[in-house]
Amino acid sequence: MKRRIQVTRLLLWLSFFAFVAPGFAAQARAPQGSEEARDLKDFTDRVRVYVKMQKALEASLPTLKPTKDPAQIVEYQQALARKIVDARRDAHQGDIFTHEAAERFRKIIRKSFQGSEGRRLRRTIQQDTPFKVVPMHVNDVFPDDTPVTTTPPTLMLKLPELPPELAYRFVGRDLALKDSKAGLIVDLIPKAIP
Amino acid sequence: MLTMRRSAFISCVALAAISVSLNAQEMTLPLKANSVRFAAIGDMGNGGKEQYAVAGQMLAYRAKFPFEFVLMLGDNLIGGKDPIDYQNKFELPYKALLDAGVKFYAVFGNHDISNERFYKLFNMNGQQYYTYKKSNVRFFALDSNYMTPQQLAWLEKELQNSGSDWKICYLHHPLYSSGSFHGSSVELRLLLEPLFIKYGVQVVFAGHEHIYERVKPQNGIIYFTEGASGELRKGNLTKTNLTAAGYDQDRTFMLVEIAGDELYFQTISRVGLTVDSGVIQRAAKITGAASWPTVRPGHGGLRGRTVAKAIGVGLTRAPTAAE
Repeated sequence: MKRRIQVTRLLLWLSFFAFVAPGFAAQARAPQGSEEARDLKDFTDRVRVYVKMQKALEASLPTLKPTKDPAQIVEYQQALARKIVDARRDAHQGDIFTHEAAERFRKIIRKSFQGSEGRRLRRTIQQDTPFKVVPMHVNDVFPDDTPVTTTPPTLMLKLPELPPELAYRFVGRDLALKDSKAGLIVDLIPKAIP
Repeated sequence: MLTMRRSAFISCVALAAISVSLNAQEMTLPLKANSVRFAAIGDMGNGGKEQYAVAGQMLAYRAKFPFEFVLMLGDNLIGGKDPIDYQNKFELPYKALLDAGVKFYAVFGNHDISNERFYKLFNMNGQQYYTYKKSNVRFFALDSNYMTPQQLAWLEKELQNSGSDWKICYLHHPLYSSGSFHGSSVELRLLLEPLFIKYGVQVVFAGHEHIYERVKPQNGIIYFTEGASGELRKGNLTKTNLTAAGYDQDRTFMLVEIAGDELYFQTISRVGLTVDSGVIQRAAKITGAASWPTVRPGHGGLRGRTVAKAIGVGLTRAPTAAE
């Protein structure tokens, strides 16, 4: 009888480890991992929607091919920017970098900006615009005469990949999402750099 | 008004070319048959009179050394990007070269915008980064403002697939530099240098620092900074252990000739003085290893004493790969 109870207890423990414990373990990791993945997926989905809209608007313009006439390039950029701004009249900061996504980005950036790696990243960003910081808003045209900062390539390896239509650009401590063709600020995370 | 300004600019360039051609120009390049000949300029696009003077000097030297194309190392259009800026900062200063059929191959600097890739005369063909081949030389034009994982993957694939004898990369930000304003781009170096070493890149050209510098071979690779073809930060080159030769007293441009296993270079100032020259020997390929080059200094010109005076360092002996 005593032996049967011992065997039953053993089987119960085994079944606990076989079925229940892994679940707990997975749950312990899952909230952070899956929530982060969900927030970043939400970001990339919003990026996809933006690019789809940009491409649709671009299709209404004559195709920009390599040209010897710089006026065509300038006019194209301005025309595309006007169309996008018009289509996104009601766009606000946080439409693409949602609150949740922005927090995920801040966390990744904060972690990278620690210690010697952080000093290296800060130096990379600051070396191109050490003095001049232009305040940015959604739908602003990124000023052509302002030098761009180098987006640290080792940091980019940790951020969600962007399609070629968009780029991450640091302006001061802010992280901007820039439309490469229209030269527009699509969204931004203020004070992304600690 | 525009026509008058245009003709005035062209006259300026022509006069500069004529006055220079009256001076004796030292030519250290061997002009070998069937060699690949090109020039390199960086941080030039400010539209200032010094940019025009450098362009005039390039034109004058081209009479002796008929280079076929020019590497533009970024900051092609500094400041405004209106059509008039394309004209004043590129088309006019280099008009005579463009008219002679010289091709310019640009990379972005931090003062450039990505839509410049659609400007036909920059030969980027709408691409932010690209590659092309001239005889036995493969060039890789990189966007160092925005080194994405996609660009790194592309570069690795292209380097791997290239069977060219010479692999030359150029980008705006120098991986090694003794310039005291920006210095070395360590972030980029972390990702690019392993690829350069692994796939046998021999020479890298950059700009960004408004000086000229030739860096001692780093892991067998020769790094040039030519960021003074329009802009200049006088006295900004601080002697470091990296410096093999340099010049920070005037604007400069480079002439390069590749013949077989040898790459000859000559760096010339705005007033036509040779401030550095030499030859890089491509080492024989060893299976599974990069073919590391060695450098021999040239002769004549300002290289040596005057350069030493300018930056406190000069070429008294040939740097070797071991350096």
